[in-house]
Amino acid sequence: MSPTIYGNIKMAVSSLQTTKMRSFLTMLGIIIGVISVVTVVSIGEGIKQQVSQEINQLGRDMITIRPGDGIERGNGTGDTVKLFYGTAITGSLADTDVALVQKTAGVRYAVPVALVNGPIKVDDKTIGNPLVLATTEQMNGLLDEPVEYGEFFVQDDLADQPNVAIIGHNLADKLFGQRVPLGGSFEYLGQTFFVRGIMKKFDTTPLSVSTDFNDAILIPYSTAQALTNNNTQLYEILAKPQDSRQLDQTIAGVTGSLKAAHNGQQRFSVLRQDESLKVTNRILDLMTKMIAGVAAISLLVGGIGIMNVMLVSVAERTHEIGLRKALGASNRQVLAQFVTEASVLSLLGGIIGVIVSLILNFILRVSTPLTPVISWEAIVISVGASFIVGVIFGTAPALKAARKDPIEALRSH
Amino acid sequence: MSLIKLTDVSKLYGFGDATTLALDEVSLKIEQNEFVAIMGPSGCGKSTLMNVIGLLDRPTHGKYLLSERSVARLTQSRRAKIRRDTIGFIFQSYNLLPRLTVLENVALPLAYRGMLPGKRTRLAMEMLEKVGMADRSYFYPPQLSGGQVQRVAIARALINDPRLIIADEPTGNLDSASSRLVMELLSEIHKAGNTILFVTHNPELTRYASRVVYMHDGSVIQDELTKVGEVALTALRQMYSIPEKTAEDDLAGISALMQAVPQKDLDKKPAAKKARKPRKKAVRSKQTYKPTASKARGK
Repeated sequence: MSPTIYGNIKMAVSSLQTTKMRSFLTMLGIIIGVISVVTVVSIGEGIKQQVSQEINQLGRDMITIRPGDGIERGNGTGDTVKLFYGTAITGSLADTDVALVQKTAGVRYAVPVALVNGPIKVDDKTIGNPLVLATTEQMNGLLDEPVEYGEFFVQDDLADQPNVAIIGHNLADKLFGQRVPLGGSFEYLGQTFFVRGIMKKFDTTPLSVSTDFNDAILIPYSTAQALTNNNTQLYEILAKPQDSRQLDQTIAGVTGSLKAAHNGQQRFSVLRQDESLKVTNRILDLMTKMIAGVAAISLLVGGIGIMNVMLVSVAERTHEIGLRKALGASNRQVLAQFVTEASVLSLLGGIIGVIVSLILNFILRVSTPLTPVISWEAIVISVGASFIVGVIFGTAPALKAARKDPIEALRSH
Repeated sequence: MSLIKLTDVSKLYGFGDATTLALDEVSLKIEQNEFVAIMGPSGCGKSTLMNVIGLLDRPTHGKYLLSERSVARLTQSRRAKIRRDTIGFIFQSYNLLPRLTVLENVALPLAYRGMLPGKRTRLAMEMLEKVGMADRSYFYPPQLSGGQVQRVAIARALINDPRLIIADEPTGNLDSASSRLVMELLSEIHKAGNTILFVTHNPELTRYASRVVYMHDGSVIQDELTKVGEVALTALRQMYSIPEKTAEDDLAGISALMQAVPQKDLDKKPAAKKARKPRKKAVRSKQTYKPTASKARGK
């Protein structure tokens, strides 16, 4: 049969060319299906990569301790996820816990992070809800020297000038309209703060679990305590082990000593970066699968469209079928011709879909903060699926064509 | 050893009251290398006979031996293979695929044989040269004249070197010059050793045939061997005995029209209509469906 495959494809293309509009409308279902599958998967893949990049930047060995049990460990089948954990629950961690973590064997840094509320004023500009984090100088080491311009505050200097701040990359521009506003000042909680340093740009993602340091203002912990009359609420404790290979032991040690201090109750969560990566990935996977499933229905609908058009085509070309049979085409050869036509139709739809989604990908990259990553797997699978859809839905009409009685087919015009 | 041997072949269409008998116990033998013209009025079963012989249709009753082998029990795909390898079809309406070039049309039966494209093109080109259409090989059928298209169709019928060529009114849509060209071509093919069956309404064209078969109402009524180059006797009579139209004929035409008008009194049907009735054959079956009808036919 192989010598006729080329001829079948040629016939299919020329037959599609004569019914361009109809063929295009038929392909539309497949095209939309492929576009949605490829685009959704590549957006999901892009966010995953961004999250893992971000986590690599902060260090894979970073340990986050938050109040409340954000992640409940299920029994074996996987973790259940509470979205927005930690934000509402505060208060179960105290300053003493920071010291406790610091003292735990194997811990190199233990940094308290507290959220302080209040608007910021620069000249006549006001930011109503800034992310102000109170922390200690150890943050410098924990974030692996994040300051690009200026320097991090040092505890010893704070006696002279307690109101200093390190600001995030994005905030520098937002507040002062310049990239390096060193020595600039802003009003916060009735005090004047001076900018001592500007942090480098961190890779962040829209779906990140971690704090976005690009928009943060870091102020000394002691200053914040003085400003709020020792009423600072700890948001989290960030820690890093001395040896990143000892991460598991360190986490166990931290958990143990905190638990002992809280009378055996575990009202906190010890999170590791790869765990939060896992959580993000799980959410993304779920979303991607759901949307891709919906898109797959579109492929199915497209297949039904192909079947419909092929039935029309077979009916229209009854005479041609009769003639081909008179000339010696076997049922199988007629079948092959029409299955080829349906497959070419759907495969073409798949390819057009891929091309459009590549263009869409580029547009998303340029015009949104998303950086979708083209997943070749998704492309191959969706094009393959559309081809298979064509074969499956093309078979019934093709069988109808193949089974036509030659003389009756030849008589019809 | 005859190429085609039909024994009491009948073909019925439809069911019940609507049954029509297209072939009525036709027995026919055609030998290798005959050039047979089949004549007869429209609806006499010529095309049905061609379709049965060409394995496009199955007879309802009777035996058909092609090359001494019965074809009754052949599967569809087997029949397709025999059509492909031993029978070439030429149609009145040419039946070329309009979206394929002339060359591709001619090569189509080779493709169904599984031949590689290169060889296909070469053989098709040779065949087009034989019918004098090589210079039009990359044209599409709608760009050619009727005579040219029919020559391409002949090339297609010949491409698989068939033993039998069946042409159903090959010149029916052609002017006389093109008709002659096409018939000359068929005659050449015949000289090369092929068996040709062709249907025609034109008595002149029986000149090319070596044998003329006349059909009427599904039966073969006359079968005569003729010399090539001479118009067959029966055909000749048909040609030269067409009576001139008289005043009577005009009247007959009018009365025929009158008969078509619904009659109030059913008993007073004109006699002419009664006489014609047996011609519309119902099933002449063993179940004695209409005994009066068969009696009227004199059987």
